[in-house]
Amino acid sequence: MGQNERVPSLLLIEDDDAIRTALELSLTRQGHRVATAATGEDGLKLLREQRPDLIVLDVMLPGIDGFEVCRRIRRTDQLPIILLTARSDDIDIVVGLESGADDYVVKPIQGRVLDARIRAVLRRGERESTDAASFGSLVIDRAAMTVTKNGEDLQLTPTELRLLLELSRRPGQALSRQQLLRLVWEHDYLGDSRLVDACVQRLRAKVEDVPSSPTLIRTVRGVGYRLDTPQ
Amino acid sequence: MTEAQGGVRGWAAARKGHLSRLRFTSLRLRLVVVFGLVALTAAVSASGIAYWLNREAVLTRTQDAVLGDFRQAMQTRAGTLPAHPSQDELQHTAGQMANSSQRFSVLLVAQDPAGKTVYGSSGGLDGFSLQDVPKSLRTAVNKQQDITSGNKYAYHLYWQRVVDHGTPYLVAGTRVIDGAATGYMLKSLEPEAKDLNSLAWSLGIATGLALVGSALLAQAAASTVLKPVQRLGVAARRLGEGKLDTRLRVSGTDELADLSRTFNDAAEALEKRVEDMAARDEASRRFVADMSHELRTPLTAITAVTEILEEELEAESGSMDPMIEPAVRLVVSETRRLNDLVENLMEVTRFDAGTARLVLDDVDLADQITACIDARAWLDAVDLDAERGIHARVDPRRLDVILANLIGNALKHGGSPVRVSVRLSDAESGEGAEIVIAVRDHGPGIPEDVLPHVFDRFYKASASRPRSEGSGLGLSIALENAHIHGGEITAANSPDGGAVFTLRLPRDASALTEESEKDTGKNGNAS
Repeated sequence: MGQNERVPSLLLIEDDDAIRTALELSLTRQGHRVATAATGEDGLKLLREQRPDLIVLDVMLPGIDGFEVCRRIRRTDQLPIILLTARSDDIDIVVGLESGADDYVVKPIQGRVLDARIRAVLRRGERESTDAASFGSLVIDRAAMTVTKNGEDLQLTPTELRLLLELSRRPGQALSRQQLLRLVWEHDYLGDSRLVDACVQRLRAKVEDVPSSPTLIRTVRGVGYRLDTPQ
Repeated sequence: MTEAQGGVRGWAAARKGHLSRLRFTSLRLRLVVVFGLVALTAAVSASGIAYWLNREAVLTRTQDAVLGDFRQAMQTRAGTLPAHPSQDELQHTAGQMANSSQRFSVLLVAQDPAGKTVYGSSGGLDGFSLQDVPKSLRTAVNKQQDITSGNKYAYHLYWQRVVDHGTPYLVAGTRVIDGAATGYMLKSLEPEAKDLNSLAWSLGIATGLALVGSALLAQAAASTVLKPVQRLGVAARRLGEGKLDTRLRVSGTDELADLSRTFNDAAEALEKRVEDMAARDEASRRFVADMSHELRTPLTAITAVTEILEEELEAESGSMDPMIEPAVRLVVSETRRLNDLVENLMEVTRFDAGTARLVLDDVDLADQITACIDARAWLDAVDLDAERGIHARVDPRRLDVILANLIGNALKHGGSPVRVSVRLSDAESGEGAEIVIAVRDHGPGIPEDVLPHVFDRFYKASASRPRSEGSGLGLSIALENAHIHGGEITAANSPDGGAVFTLRLPRDASALTEESEKDTGKNGNAS
């Protein structure tokens, strides 16, 4: 990543003034370019104008809430989204992941943790090798960082792409959720396995012929997931 | 030990139930007995009086008729006999006398002209002889009485009832005034006795029926009393089990209805009280939850900014005003503490509200513990005795919280080295085995009086104890996290010195999450 030192631009959507200001301060100091919005509507407008690399999104927003913002972004964009949630609302995390978030950070947020998550998410889009692999009608081009199915381009988020790349690197081999959390999310040993489950579901929806009976990304009970070459 | 207590309690309860059933039947029994006695007394006295009156009436009527006839016959037949009749005359007259509607036997006694006593009997062979007449009656009949103003006759008619070979007889005798003959009669009272016997039987049967009837009535009465009592008992038991909406149907206006009404009032009052208390409890709980929520927002801002200050401190010491630096350090460290406290407080409120959920994953215990120790830079102070390859299905984050609290506590209050050992409770690592993780320190151990309170929230062993680093919630949260897995933590002192905290967790906590997922209808572990 050495010379790839383009300063990443972030969009922070947070309604509380103090948190917004403090996070803006902290993230700017960590070397990010930060644009802020106080509501979901403003955030969506800024997103169209500024095309940031990543969105940090509070769940509790006046007007349209974080989940809805997340869903609306996902309709057109595959850019990474990190949710700011209150851990007390376990349901929030599940709903947030289902609406397309790539990762989440629990309040009270430590700037360093958030920064680490941001960097990890941004790294997912980086190219690592230059070969290609195919699984049935699915072709993963690691050079162009694209995935095609029956010749059609699939719109994958960086996280989904990274997950698919990690699985495709070890075809037929089961990877545990914890392994995937380390490889894809760069989480420590306490990674939340629901991140993996939610991402696999989203990936299946895009990759599989019939998402409810997957033939490519198989669940290995008690272990994790495995990418198979269909017969 | 708890099992034994449970057993004893169960046995006592069973015994109590048995006793209460016994008491229950004895009330019924008492009612039946009392009803029976009342019925018996009434029936026996009524039948007795009826029998006695009937008997007297029947006997008197028969007797009067017989004696009237006998007297008549004596006057008309025996009175016409000569002073010294012959044997034949006497026999003939006796036959004539007996030939009346009353069918009695007659015996006439007189003296013949020769001065010899002659007998005339109507009975023929099975005859009625003088031996059949009681001696006292004979004496009375032959006794001549003085004639006074109150007594016009020298001889009277006497009678007596005798029983011969089980058959009752009426015996009567008199002497003809100014005549020579003394007459006796014997009348069998068997038909009357038979009538009276059958009457007695009828009365006996009636008494029996009254007894049976009274027993049935007593049963019915007992049921009408005992059924409401039983219902009341069941309702009281339900109330005791916590079903405070239990109410009785009130019917009628008797004392039992009053009792039911009182019960309902009491249950209502109790329900209201419990509701009030629950509401107050809920309100205070919500207050704590809301408060920690509210604290979190400014705290997030403060934390983010504090980190900037912290970096400033770390960057180049000296760049900051030496007067300000300690202040900044204090703010940084206390903010971290405040963060921990709020986080723990929120964790506690989640357990209290029952919203805590397990997010299960397969973990290698040795790896997890190593990572936990490593992440907190405790590797040098902790001895880990665990084989790799022991897998369990637990919530990794919660297991980390438990381990961090137990090990952190051991390091803080005990002393290095802290020894953490992992093993399975069963020799064979089969399904359903339990994980046992023991955390042992080498400190002075825990005083006996503190031991029961180590898991209490904000418990301080003594007021003089120095303010600890922790929030005072750590062990309590560890315990709650063990409970939500279906596990347990126990604290004890090792005989070799030092405190030992033992964590027991089921190897697979999936069963628990399946239950709670059913409750919420939310599937957190989709695959």
